[in-house]
Order: sequence, then structure tokens, then C-alpha cells
Amino acid sequence: MSSTTSPYQRFFNYLGQSVSIAPLVVFRIAFGLVMLYSTLRYAFLGWIDKQLVDTVLHFSYYGFDWVQALPRTGMYAVFILMAISCLAIVLGWYYRLFATLFFLCFTYVELIDITYYLNHYYFVSIVSFLMIWLPAHRYFSLDVRRNPSLLTKEVSLWCVGIIKLQIAVVYCYAGLAKINEDWLLHALPLSIWLPAKTSIPVIGGLFEYKATAYIFSWAGMLFDTFIVAGLLWKKTRWLAYIAVVVFHTITGMLFQIGVFPLVMILAVTIFFSPAFHEAVINRLRSIFSKLGLTRQTLVEQHSTQGRGAANQWMIPVIIVFCAFQLLFPWRYLLYPGNVFWTEQGYRFAWRVMLMEKAGTATFYVKDGPNGREGSVINSQFLNPHQEKQMAFQPDLILQYAHYLAAHFEQQGMTDPQVRAEVWVTLNASPARLYIDPQLDLTTVDDNWQHKDWILPFNPQDYEKTN
Amino acid sequence: MESKRTINSSALLLVCLSLVLGMGACGDDDNSTEDPGFDRSTLLESLANGLIIPNFEALQSSINALSTATTAFNDNTTESNLTALRSAWQQVATDFQHCSAFGFGPGNLPLGSFATVLGVFPVNEQGVEANIVNPNFNLPASFDRDIRGVYAVEYLIYGNNLTDANLIAAFDQNRKDHLVLLVGELKTTVDGIVTAWNGTYQQEFIADDGTASGSSISLLYNEFVKDYENLKNFKIELPAGLTAGQPDSDPSIVEAFYSGISRDLIVQHFQSARNIWAGQSKSGQNLVGFQEYLQTVTGGTDLINTTLSAIATIDNAIAALPQGRLSDNVDAAELATLRDALQNNTANFKSSMSSLLGISITFNSGDGD
Repeated sequence: MSSTTSPYQRFFNYLGQSVSIAPLVVFRIAFGLVMLYSTLRYAFLGWIDKQLVDTVLHFSYYGFDWVQALPRTGMYAVFILMAISCLAIVLGWYYRLFATLFFLCFTYVELIDITYYLNHYYFVSIVSFLMIWLPAHRYFSLDVRRNPSLLTKEVSLWCVGIIKLQIAVVYCYAGLAKINEDWLLHALPLSIWLPAKTSIPVIGGLFEYKATAYIFSWAGMLFDTFIVAGLLWKKTRWLAYIAVVVFHTITGMLFQIGVFPLVMILAVTIFFSPAFHEAVINRLRSIFSKLGLTRQTLVEQHSTQGRGAANQWMIPVIIVFCAFQLLFPWRYLLYPGNVFWTEQGYRFAWRVMLMEKAGTATFYVKDGPNGREGSVINSQFLNPHQEKQMAFQPDLILQYAHYLAAHFEQQGMTDPQVRAEVWVTLNASPARLYIDPQLDLTTVDDNWQHKDWILPFNPQDYEKTN
Repeated sequence: MESKRTINSSALLLVCLSLVLGMGACGDDDNSTEDPGFDRSTLLESLANGLIIPNFEALQSSINALSTATTAFNDNTTESNLTALRSAWQQVATDFQHCSAFGFGPGNLPLGSFATVLGVFPVNEQGVEANIVNPNFNLPASFDRDIRGVYAVEYLIYGNNLTDANLIAAFDQNRKDHLVLLVGELKTTVDGIVTAWNGTYQQEFIADDGTASGSSISLLYNEFVKDYENLKNFKIELPAGLTAGQPDSDPSIVEAFYSGISRDLIVQHFQSARNIWAGQSKSGQNLVGFQEYLQTVTGGTDLINTTLSAIATIDNAIAALPQGRLSDNVDAAELATLRDALQNNTANFKSSMSSLLGISITFNSGDGD
């Protein structure tokens, strides 16, 4: 190390430091297993049919309306491929191929219908994308057994670090998002949600008290914001991990959030020391050898050759990826108004369990300015989940209006005009009109611009722009 | 050192495993009886014992009377027996309105909520006529909803624009048998529902006092909202031609087209919705309903006031409906007024109330975050 190295070079050297591959390998196995469980659960709950196949229409992500659901057989094939990919990831078998397939299948399914958007699906998509590029199969895998030259015990620091960074982004941003008046000063929405959960065993009795909602609100904010610091520091790591387990177990019991608690409880183990992960691998190895599943001895030659080191070209990619993760959630600041109300910049920003919002949207269609106006029976087009989600999200209201215009044009209308009367309640506030009920939504197009057709939640929110 | 690590990792695996199992086991069932806040089981018990079961029992007894009147008519097809039969049917149709919101639990049949199976209109007249003369017709094996139930019976005993003398003249043995068949299905179904409620379901219903999808309150709530929207959509909006794409009103698709008692049934239907919300038995006795539950939650008082005022508007709109057959009045402005009044209250019942009460309104539709 000469004193003449540039900061860039030093940063590059730091990212390229050798660290144990074990945390990455355990992460690969845990991630594969929990995704396998999640894929099978989705299928066995009948959601492939209910959410993807038996629907009249799908709501698409902005710019992704070309992503369409396949017919039933095709959707089941995608899920079978996804399950096989998970298993292959666990075993490290043709890992790069199946990591890529898993990312593509999972993200494809996610992109079919935005009403099923969940932050944890987004998290899974990002992590599975990262996994494609990480050498997580180069130890304790079938790929190594096939091709021993792949074997390595060390990887570059960035390979483990980038997953830690991603997890840190999720928690910290979720924590920062909780620093708002409703959450901290009024304990909303928890003071709505907790009293509905008084029948939970053991702790349910506490939920009728307003103080419990305040304690949970503050504890949740502090937990999310600082947990990664606690996990990084060796002295607090086990304590922090216990907090992770307790926090996610409680939220898992309280709310219908599927596999998310399990995903996080397993994912944060990546913060544990290499020695811990090596012990886990040895443990698994001894179980497998007792079952007669492993070859007696694997020649573990230390290879440093091409061990997933940070190539020069990787650095800008990593920087761009990280910059996107760090900056994109802040885009809501570019829009006027309350982000909870307008939802402009709400998604893809780790706003998790943050507000209680619901709406009722009635659409009216007429053919031309003088046509006979009629209302739409939403249940003829949407399933209950889609209707619920659509009724308080402006971009979905707009998509549905455009769908209805196209539908009635096909039914013979020449100039369908669509307006919507939408009543929305946010965090127990009385329902108020969400958009101008006289506005013909077919004249409005969705884009990244501020949606000035959303009526203000607080009129003063809009003063700064008008 | 190494063995200690191994113990740690085993402990971790154990923790993870128990969490997986734990999460699977937790789910929706709540067995705790300690519930010091608003006691949802009080609401469930009050509505089950004061509204749901009595209303089903009333329907059961009016169906029994219809069954008896059917036998009497079939034995002796006189005009006076026909009048008695029709009067028995009107009571069934009226009592049916006070049960149609309870299409969960025993009220949820393989084809869907009993009211969406046995309360379908308009009736498929050609279908009914074809079934009457088809010796191989098997009602239980048929999936068609528009050839069975309350309004198919109505079609048989009122006919479409027939004089009483002509209707009686046409009542041959096939027609009599078919009437017995359709009334029999009503009786079997409602007998089954009453038996189940008076059996173990009542206790199950009261005990399951959580708010998750599939809990009693969520089932009751969802069916309540659906039934309310059915009143607006199918009994008013569609016949009045007020839905998108309808070129005109359509008198033939009113409820109870043959008897002409549509207006009375609309009155009863809304009365039933109000009883569930406000907590009131059919005879006016005080019960614990959603209104009382709302009083205990943040923002509840505002919503109660908004809802009460919306209900008053609906009451006025219903009272203003033209008397006589609805099918003669489908273009009346009063129908559009009533539709608007019902629509204005939909957000109160549908989104605002579930939001304040924290009830999961979508069943089996995915996870939240």
C-alpha cells in the first residue's frame, strides 16, 4: 500500500478485500428455502387462480403494461419453474442459470398486477437480482462437486456487503418513514389496528389501551431505524437479533403479512460472523454425511483465482445500484402534498404498514357529453382485492377509468366519458372526496408529473405550489 | 469453541423452525376469552341470538306455511286456495329480505350465499317451463340459479300476465309437481340453515371474535356490504337503466315482477341492512350492532353521524318511491334519487367502517404489508 493510492483506489481495495464465503452460502440456502416455501404457499392457497388467472383485468405497473398474465397452464408452469429454481438455488446446482430464472419468474409474476404490490415482493426481486451476480454457489454446492475448480472459501467484501446494505436500506427507510406526526404523536394507524386484535392470545389484552399503540409506534420506529446498527456491532448483535425475532414474530401474529417476517428473520443472519456461518455449514455437512448424502471428503483447496473479485467495471454498477436504492425512495419530496394522500412516490420506498387508508369509488360512464350516464358495478370487472386497492390509489383509479372507456367503446359507444366519485378515509379521518367527481378521466394520462387532479387532503398542502 | 458455535447454530435453526410452525399455527383462531375492550363476542352473540337466528326461524316458519298452502292448492286448485298460496309466498319473500345478508357459515351453500342461489331474478321462464315438462329434470343436480328459488315459485303461482282462471286451468300435474319440488328445495335449504345455527355454529360464531379474514365479524361484515350493494345494484339501478351501457330502463328485471310487490321488498331489504348496522331486531328490540362498536373506536362518532344522516336520506327516498308496481315506474326520477342516496352511503358502510374497525374485508386474496 503506497501512500499515493487515490481514495477511489482505496475504496476499490476495500470492496475487494477477501472475506469468508460462508455468510453468502448460508444466505443462498436460507433464501432459496424461504422462497420455495413462499412459492408453494402461494400455489396451495389457490392464489395463482384467484389473483392471476380468474380475473377480468389486471392493473399494470407504469411502463410495464406489456407484461401480461399467461393462460392458466402457463401460469402454473411459471410457478413450477420458480419452485425448481428455488430448489436449485438451495443446492447450488447450475446456480447462475436458476438464480436468473428465479429472478425473471418472480419479477414477472410480481409485474402482472400492481394491486398485489408488496414491499417485501420488491425486496425479494432486488435480492434475487443481486444473487445472480454473487458467487454464492462456489462453496458447499452441487456446482462445486461438478466442477471443483469453482471452489473458493473467500469472496470479495462487496459480495456480502451489498446484501447487508440492501437490508440496511429496508430497515432504515422503513424507520425514517415512521417519523411523522400521525405515527409518533397520534399513534396512528396502530391505535386503529391494535384494538381490533384484542383476541390475540397472551398479549391481546394490552391492545385496548391507547398507551400500547404509542409504545408500539415508538418502539417500531426506533427498531427499524437502529436495528442495523445493533446488528453491525458485535457486542449488541445477539441482542439485536432477539429483537428482530420478537419484532417480526409480533407483527407476523398481528397482521396478515405472509412470509415477510420469516424472510427478514432469516435474511438478517447475514450480519453474523463468518465463524457462525461456517459452523452452520459444518452442521449441515455432518447431517448430510450421516444421511450418506455427501462424499466422504471434499478436497477443499483454497482458490483465490477469479473469486468474484470486484472487477473494475463492477464498481460503477454497484455505485449506480446503491445510488438508486438510496435516492429513489426520496422522490416523493419532488411532489406537492401529503404522500400518504396522493401516493406520489409512495411505492418502492419501504413504507411498510404505515397508514390505514380505504376508499369507495363509483365510476360513471356516458357516451358523449349528452349521452345517458350509467354507473359501473365494480364487481363485474374487479375482484374484491383489486377493487379495494384501486379505490384509494390515484394511478389505479385512472387505469380503471381508461379500461372502462376501452371496454364500453368495444360495446359500441363512440365517445365514452368516464368520471369517478371517490371517497377516501385516511387514518380514521372522515372520508372526503379524492378527485374532482366531474373530471372526465379519459382526458387525463398517467405520467411522472404531479397529479393535480387529486383534491388536497389539507388545502394548505398545496399552497406552496399554487 | 467450535462446539459452542455449533450449539448456537442449532439453537438458531430451532428458533427459526419453531417460528415457521408458530406462524402457521397462529393464523386466525383466537381462543382467548379475556377481552376488556369492545367485546366483539357481545356483538356476535347479540346479533346471532337477536337477529340472525330469529330471522331464519321466521323464514323457516313462513316456508312451512307456504309448503302447507302448496299442498292445499295442489289438492284443490281453487281461486281461494291460490289466494292463500300467494299470501303465504309474500310472507316468504318478505322474510327472505331479513335473511339475505347472512349468507355465511350455514348460509353459504356450495353455489354461493343462499340468497344469491334462491333469490335470483329475473326468472328464466323458458327454462322453468322446459323443466316442468322434462321427466328427467333433476333440481339438485342443476347449477342454474334462475330456474329455482323464491322467484321461480312466484312465477309459477302468479304467471306472467295470466288471469287467475287461466293460471289455474294450466296447473296440470307436472306443474303441481314442479311447484312442490321448488318449494321443497326452499324448505330443505332453510331447515338446514336453522338446524346448523341452532346446533354448533352459534357457539362457533360467537367464539371466533377476531377481525382477520374469515373471522365471524369479517364474514358478517362482508356479506352485509355485499347484500347492501345488491339492493342498490340489482333491485334499483339495473331495472331503472342506471348502469353504464344500458340504453334504457328495463321493467322486466325488477324483483318480484309477477306479484308486483317489489316496492315492499325494497323497504324490507333496507330495513334489514339498517337493523344489522344499528343493532335492532326485526321487532324493534335493541341489540348490539356495528353502531355500538363504532362508538368505541377513533373517528367512530363522526362516522356514526354521517351514516345516520345518510340513512335518513335513504328513508326519505324510499318513502318517496311511487306506490304500485315498480315495473310500471322504472323511469321515475325517485328511483335515481334512491340510487344516489344508497350510493352516498356506500362509502360509510363499505370502506370507512371497515377502516375504522380494522376488519379485514378481503377474503383469501393475499397478504398485506
